Amino acid sequence: MTEVRLNAVQKRFGAFTAIESIDLDIKSGELVALLGPSGCGKTTTLRMIAGLEAPTKGEVLFDGHDVSDVAVQKRNVGMVFQRYALFPHMTVEKNVTFGLDVRGLPKKEISERLEEILEVVQLNKFRKRFPAQLSGGQMQRVAIARTLITKPSVLMMDEPLANLDTKLRGEMRRFIRDLQKRLGITTIFVTHDQVEAMELADRVAVIFNGKLAQFGAPQELYQQPNSTEVADFMGASNIFSAKLVAADRAETSFGTIDIMSQPGLKPGNDVYVMLRSEGIDLYPESEAPQGAQNLISGKIKAREFFGASVQYVVGAGEDITVAEQSRRLLDVGQPVVLSVQPDRVWTIAR
Amino acid sequence: MARSHDSALKERMWLWLQLSPVLLILAVLFGGALVLAVVQSLGFAPWFGVNTFPSFQYFGALWGSVSFWQSLWLTLYYATVSTVIALVMGIALALALVRTFPGKHLYKYVYKLPLMIPYTVGIALAVIMLGNGGMISRLASFFGFISDPSHFPQILKTHAGWGIIAVYVWKQVPFITLAIYAVMLGIGRETEEAAAILGANRWQILSQVTLPQIMPGVVSSTLICFAFNVGAFEAPFILGGGFPDTLPVVAWRYFNDADYTLQLQGMATVVSIALVAGIILFSYLAIYRRFERKIGRN
Repeated sequence: MTEVRLNAVQKRFGAFTAIESIDLDIKSGELVALLGPSGCGKTTTLRMIAGLEAPTKGEVLFDGHDVSDVAVQKRNVGMVFQRYALFPHMTVEKNVTFGLDVRGLPKKEISERLEEILEVVQLNKFRKRFPAQLSGGQMQRVAIARTLITKPSVLMMDEPLANLDTKLRGEMRRFIRDLQKRLGITTIFVTHDQVEAMELADRVAVIFNGKLAQFGAPQELYQQPNSTEVADFMGASNIFSAKLVAADRAETSFGTIDIMSQPGLKPGNDVYVMLRSEGIDLYPESEAPQGAQNLISGKIKAREFFGASVQYVVGAGEDITVAEQSRRLLDVGQPVVLSVQPDRVWTIAR
Repeated sequence: MARSHDSALKERMWLWLQLSPVLLILAVLFGGALVLAVVQSLGFAPWFGVNTFPSFQYFGALWGSVSFWQSLWLTLYYATVSTVIALVMGIALALALVRTFPGKHLYKYVYKLPLMIPYTVGIALAVIMLGNGGMISRLASFFGFISDPSHFPQILKTHAGWGIIAVYVWKQVPFITLAIYAVMLGIGRETEEAAAILGANRWQILSQVTLPQIMPGVVSSTLICFAFNVGAFEAPFILGGGFPDTLPVVAWRYFNDADYTLQLQGMATVVSIALVAGIILFSYLAIYRRFERKIGRN
């Protein structure tokens, strides 16, 4: 159980600045994702926490103690690499016990802990195999076991689900979540995939260009992004420029709509409004509700069918994307009415 | 039936025909020379008026003399010591090259220089640098480490062979480095980082993680260097300590003797070198094969 804090951490490689300055506060036992596009500095941040890179400025604190100068070996952290980095010349057993062998623990304790951890990751059958004889999911479980057997105070993972196929992803996701909750170990992982971040993490830190853009729970990032970049990265499709005519009304190119007033935004401000595509109700023109708030009429311009869900693009001054369960299918060209609750409209300062 | 038999024969003929170029090369380059050498060493040389084939008298005379075993020892000693020194230096260099350090770009070119310079130039350099009247001895006396250049310790022309070893090492370090560096680039740094995070110190990382993974590079490069060193002639001839010489020099002396029938004795020497080198390299590869099986490569 360790609390991790980054204090104005900066990292430069020669003239190149990988991390401008990052403050991050990770609670003990929390599962946090560092999310961002490739090259944003998320892996560098992870490597600095692990001790593989030393910060140029700032400090890395574990439970309030500065560990910036503590060598990797002494930091007692765990890391699961994206391509697992298993030792190809060692069996599963040897890979798993490596961390204890190099610490010179008594043989008896090592074998006890080996049995225990092989049970946890269900690799008993494969203990005599070499990494080349394992599947991707099995290799990842070896990598996790190899790390957990050393009882690290912080567990780090680099793109933990990236190399797995869809079915295995679900399995590994549950496995990692369960394990993390059971052991209560502070876990930080890096990903460029917002779905992966939301699936796994308690909180997500979005990093753009070496700066922390937003840090919060997945639903907060998804529903209340603090910038259009974050909204965009979290997969938002309907972001439109608008002007506040009142604290709770915004003028857009598809009409003036009621919104939820947000602190810090005043009438007259230029803003963006964001309408989550699944938060919009869609009605054929004939079934349009009477007297409901925020009615927008338009025409279906395109339809994309995904099986369980269907997505429409509705032309209404702007192109608005609407997603719904595919219990019915409307046709392209059909006139429709959209309705959106004010509390499902999120406003971003411009 | 007859037809299909016929076509099978044709097919086999065609296969041999396609193989013939490579078989020819194998036969002439390797088989021919080897067979000729073995046959001569067993007393077949009618062109010199000698034909006692098959007789082991030349091997008997050779292996029966003490000087042969001294020569064999010297040959193996120079070859092994220089290969081991070059390997240690090569590994250290390759480890440095996969890390970043100032001036690395330039250094990556400089270290390969000896690869392009012939052995004979290396030998000449050794004479100029390491001899008793050489640069280093003069510098040593200039700076007052020794009172006169002639007091410099004898490096060349001794049976300790430090001159020979220096030339081999100088020429072969870049070669070994190149081979191991390529393997290291292939395996990447991640396993080393993983080991460090798991708590391994530098020595544990090197011995338990890095070395086992670079073994293919280590084995192939040392194999080539060792085989070359066993058969090399110029360096021990020029820089060696005189009688007893290394086996290639002994063979050369037989070939160059006014009594040309001694060429058969020379052939027996050459075949002996091939036998010894063959046994050593074969055992080396067999041991490596066992190691590979132990680490799960089949």
